[in-house]
Amino acid sequence: MRTRIILSVALSCFLFATSQAQEYNQDAIKELEKKVDAVSPGSTKFLLTGYATTGLTLTKDASTFEPTSFSPIFLWKTSDKLFFEGELEMEYEDGELEIGIEYADISYKLAKNFTVRAGKFLLPYGIFTDRLHAAWINKLPSKPLGFDHGGVGPTDDVGFEVLGGVQLGNSKATYAFYAVNGPSLMDGSEDPMQAGMLNYENLADNNKNKALGGRIGFLPFTNSLLELGFSGQSSMPGNKETDYEKTTAFLYAGDLTYVKGIEQIKGTVDIKAQYNGANVGKANYIDASDSTGATTYTFDNTSNAWFAQLAYRPTMMSNKIVKSFEIAARYSSIKTPDKSLWADEKTQWTIGLNYWLSWRTVFKLAYGMDKTPGVSKTENTFMVNVAMGF
Amino acid sequence: MKKYKNYFATIAVIAVIIAAVSSCATTQKISEKTGNVLWQENCLRCHNSPPSTAFNNAQWETIGLHMQVRANLTETETQKIVEYLKTVE
Repeated sequence: MRTRIILSVALSCFLFATSQAQEYNQDAIKELEKKVDAVSPGSTKFLLTGYATTGLTLTKDASTFEPTSFSPIFLWKTSDKLFFEGELEMEYEDGELEIGIEYADISYKLAKNFTVRAGKFLLPYGIFTDRLHAAWINKLPSKPLGFDHGGVGPTDDVGFEVLGGVQLGNSKATYAFYAVNGPSLMDGSEDPMQAGMLNYENLADNNKNKALGGRIGFLPFTNSLLELGFSGQSSMPGNKETDYEKTTAFLYAGDLTYVKGIEQIKGTVDIKAQYNGANVGKANYIDASDSTGATTYTFDNTSNAWFAQLAYRPTMMSNKIVKSFEIAARYSSIKTPDKSLWADEKTQWTIGLNYWLSWRTVFKLAYGMDKTPGVSKTENTFMVNVAMGF
Repeated sequence: MKKYKNYFATIAVIAVIIAAVSSCATTQKISEKTGNVLWQENCLRCHNSPPSTAFNNAQWETIGLHMQVRANLTETETQKIVEYLKTVE
């Protein structure tokens, strides 16, 4: 009888303790759920990311600390279909802060592999501007000749675009087609030295025509390591109601990407190349040396710029320090019309050594050699640069 | 101008072909690719592949959509890569 009483009391104590523990656990779980709910995102997901860069450039005659450039990128995903991306470009130059919008566009996924976007966006004209221009991605501190703003070919524009990627058996293709304001033709009325040049910063359109263009990318192999791309853009860039209204401009580009880890050389080889060409229809421009304005001149208005780049990083080495190093070499060239007042012909070698502090922060040292045909001496530049993505 | 028209006609034909073949079944070799494999193949074409710890799950979803637009990833590739980055340690 006594044993039975003791057992009953023990069982009651155990049951009481268990129920108390369960109650406590449930309270703790509810508390935890409240905390998680408070910090978990709703349907709107926002990310502030971007990159910053600064550096030093040394030439024979000057040494300059490059102004720090800071480019915050704002990404809003409001649903699985609707998305906004915007990048600001902030630079401190000549004692003043310059702010620009690199891109700001709204994308909507209409179908599985079919997205439409509108706004100011980086044009799919080759790969450099669209994919490689960010300082923490670019393997060298400088851009190839003719691939910066005002080079041969557009970088960004305002309009709309349809894009996507599709599997083709073991291969893959990508597409992007767009209609944008397009470039404007500088007829020399503002600056005679620039007559015949295309101005790609034509954000408020100078005529009713729209530039149509696009890029087709093809990744032939299953591993997607090789990509070939072909881009084109057609426009009529002349100011409306002028002699240049019917002048045409056709821009085209071809690009190549090949990135592969190779066991035999214990590292990753990264090859990039792009060729940009611009054909502007012939037009007569006023010769500024004739004060009457009656004399005109014309020229074959074709330009091109291209680069080929090779980088190697010993990613398969076991030593952490060794695998953080990377070497890169790039050859680039630009040629603008011979008989224009903005004729330019130059080639450039740039060789660099990088050290990756993290996957998105890099310290770069590079040496550039610019050569102009007919000039025996090269213009040499030593560059030091730090770029950080965040 | 004629050659430009031809150029765009070519692009249009290619686009139509792409649209037509996009409905084709993906090969087994492609459909069996894991998020890990796709992450290594696609990110590295432009930049170093980010570690999964660089962002939280909600941020990976946003980045996934950003990269789908920027790098013309297919929806399947994007989903697999984002799921991989959300779950891997």
